[in-house]
Amino acid sequence: MSAFAAVLVLLAMVLLVAAAIYAAGWLLGVARSPLPVVPFTGGLPPAEHAFSRFHVRWYALAMLFLAFDMEMIFMYPWTLVISAVGPSAVIEMFTFLAVLLAGVAYAWREGALRWA
Amino acid sequence: MVASAPPWAVVLVPVILAGFAFAAAAADGIFTARAAGVRLTGAVAAAPLAEVARLLAGQRRATPAADRVLWRSGLIAVPVAAALAAVVIPFGSVTVSRMSVGVVWFNAMEVLTWAAVWMAGWGANATLGLVGGYRFVAQGLAYQLPLMFALICAAAGAQSLNVAQVVTAQAHLWFAVWMPAAFAVYLAAVYAFSFLGPFSYPAGRDLAGGVMAELSGPDRLMLQAGRWLLLTAGAGMAVPLFLGGGAGPLLPTWVWSAVKTLAVLAVLVWARRRLPTIRADRYAEVAWVVLIPLTIVQALVVSLVVLTRGGVPL
Amino acid sequence: MGLTQALLRVGAARPHVMIASVPGGTEVRLAAEAELRRRGWPAAPSPADADVLLIAGNVPGELDDPVAEVWRAVPAPRARTQAVSPDEVPAALDRARSLAGDLSRQRAALPVPGDPPDEGEGPQAGGGPGHKNGGPGGMQMPGGMDMAGGMGMAGEMGMAGGLRVASRGEDRDGLKLDQLHVPLGPFLPDWPAGLVVRVTLQGDVIQHATAGFVGVTGEGRPYWYEPWLRAAGERADVGEAARRRTAAYLDSLGRFLAVAGWDLAAVTARRLRDESLANAPEATLGPAVRKFARRVCRSRVLAWATRGLGVLSPAEAVAAGVGGPALRAGGDVCTRYRQWCAEVAEAAAVFADRSPADPGLLEGPRGPLDGRAAPSAGLVAVLPGLLAGAEFAAARLIIASLDPDADELAPAGVGAGHGG
Repeated sequence: MSAFAAVLVLLAMVLLVAAAIYAAGWLLGVARSPLPVVPFTGGLPPAEHAFSRFHVRWYALAMLFLAFDMEMIFMYPWTLVISAVGPSAVIEMFTFLAVLLAGVAYAWREGALRWA
Repeated sequence: MVASAPPWAVVLVPVILAGFAFAAAAADGIFTARAAGVRLTGAVAAAPLAEVARLLAGQRRATPAADRVLWRSGLIAVPVAAALAAVVIPFGSVTVSRMSVGVVWFNAMEVLTWAAVWMAGWGANATLGLVGGYRFVAQGLAYQLPLMFALICAAAGAQSLNVAQVVTAQAHLWFAVWMPAAFAVYLAAVYAFSFLGPFSYPAGRDLAGGVMAELSGPDRLMLQAGRWLLLTAGAGMAVPLFLGGGAGPLLPTWVWSAVKTLAVLAVLVWARRRLPTIRADRYAEVAWVVLIPLTIVQALVVSLVVLTRGGVPL
Repeated sequence: MGLTQALLRVGAARPHVMIASVPGGTEVRLAAEAELRRRGWPAAPSPADADVLLIAGNVPGELDDPVAEVWRAVPAPRARTQAVSPDEVPAALDRARSLAGDLSRQRAALPVPGDPPDEGEGPQAGGGPGHKNGGPGGMQMPGGMDMAGGMGMAGEMGMAGGLRVASRGEDRDGLKLDQLHVPLGPFLPDWPAGLVVRVTLQGDVIQHATAGFVGVTGEGRPYWYEPWLRAAGERADVGEAARRRTAAYLDSLGRFLAVAGWDLAAVTARRLRDESLANAPEATLGPAVRKFARRVCRSRVLAWATRGLGVLSPAEAVAAGVGGPALRAGGDVCTRYRQWCAEVAEAAAVFADRSPADPGLLEGPRGPLDGRAAPSAGLVAVLPGLLAGAEFAAARLIIASLDPDADELAPAGVGAGHGG
């Protein structure tokens, strides 16, 4: 069986198991329908819906993370060819990383890593 | 040599994963009972099964105007991600999926949890859950890169992304011995992506359970089981990546795989309650300023070693 | 169905209990926590996880609605029970467990499908007299169920209406994003009993907070101060006062460590607190308490996680009427819990002292109770200033490190303690 065929079969299986658990909960549970509730914040009712434009303070860190994540796309195939390509592979990759680390150092100095 | 398992063995992946997860949860119950001064009985060790029974029979809850599609998808995606991540873990000397990019696959499946836990937090239309979901993403931004560098170290040490070859490359010396920083970072990341232990910030008690605050019944079972399955999958992956897979004297390889997985799980479960929660806003600074340079230096060391050896495993 | 009953029985062997602690119910809460720990039953952090709702103490009138609200949020199988004195706790828990494991009674209490959701004026919200705190000795729930209230609640919420959508507000980094007004209510886990903090959250940072106690009845004596109040009339000895003080600090520490996520230390703190209150021999208890205090003091991870949060300078503390360890520590959350640890270690050294206590020299766990404003009133008064601009987790740590106690406001003539 090819590698990804096994994965597809496993995915189908696990989804079936999840459906079976929900079916078992519906059949065997004490109540068939869910309980309508108010979201819990300690006992007093909330004033608004929670769906809102959440102020995510770590947006600068998310941009930095994207830059590094794109770099990782290069690093994964790089591991396959280190000794084949020789020292230039190591030098190039770690120079690239040093440049990115300079960016991290700048972000750190600017306080992007401390948001609360 | 890690060979392909027969096709029917796919069925065993979730079974074995669930078995180890149950053992981990049982051990956790035992440690908790010891700490609380409760007498240890068989019931304490079987507590995870009792919990499953309680949750199966429980009633679900519906918050007003909840986003039901996102909510349920998020909940189901967590254990599914764990099972998919575990498909590349060899058990002994057989593996269900001989993917040539197994290491990347594991990483990709673990990243699914980012979307899943955020959806679980958002979908409930509850403030505490919402804060919990965003906390997980913030935590993710901190742990993910050191984890990726740790995986790169293991892959570079074997010059392959195929998990089977990573196992073979450790025939003479385990990676955990000469890549200790990568191993330590990997174990911390296992706590982080299963949000257990010191990284249970998204589901913390200060948020009344965070992403789990509005869950009951089978919904809660999905997410709670998902966390333990993720922990188990992470511990299971540590064995071929850093601890030599099934290699060992005397006993068959699958026994060694199981023993090593249980050992890693034991350490993770034992240390789980011994540290305060590490919050993402404090951890991000440490992760980016200390751990990333550390793992980069570790990767440099590994690549230099690989260069000097000319591709022959250490 | 037989299988469902079997599942219920298995699940009810170890029910998750949510303790609703009210002002005046400290002793019951302590007994309940000790009993749960002994039985190995987990404490549920939210109603969703709870099977049993245990109300610890007499519910004051103002807290009736929040209790009903919490009860409505507990899913089936469920049981509600109340204990008004510490001795009633084991029986209450046993009753609740048998109720939670009984399928027929659970099914009987579910709402009948087809009830129109708008109805429910009659049997809802609070229900009959059995739901309120009973008279002397009254504690049990008749049947234990109040499901009709749940359907009525659904009617009020409607499908998607009934709630506003968040609107925007200014923030320190110049973005104007949505604000949520969240009342952090009296029944959060590891939260001071009766405290309500209404916050305006933008993201997970608190922009504005008001704090106050709800349900302070004005009767009874604060539990933690008993030896001192007695020493005025009868004689309490130094050892007994030290035990009570140690237990008070360990209770606060346990709550703080639970909020900080350090489960093992929180369990140890609570176990030592129970042993201290149960008059365990000084020979074993003293060294254990000192060792625990040293371990918490020395933890570098906890110090790193709490440094710089909630800085309360001595000048501000004095201005607000804060006394006791919060004033002596004079710094952030880290110095405050270290102050608790130091004072616990000191108090543990004098357990065996049987000399009569001098009332003039004594001070309670949160500050002097000398007829001026209660120490907790000052603690609540500084909360709005400390919480503004704090992230949610930091806010929980700040509140836990101050740990105001509603019972102190009970004696008549002491300040009412409503925060800004």
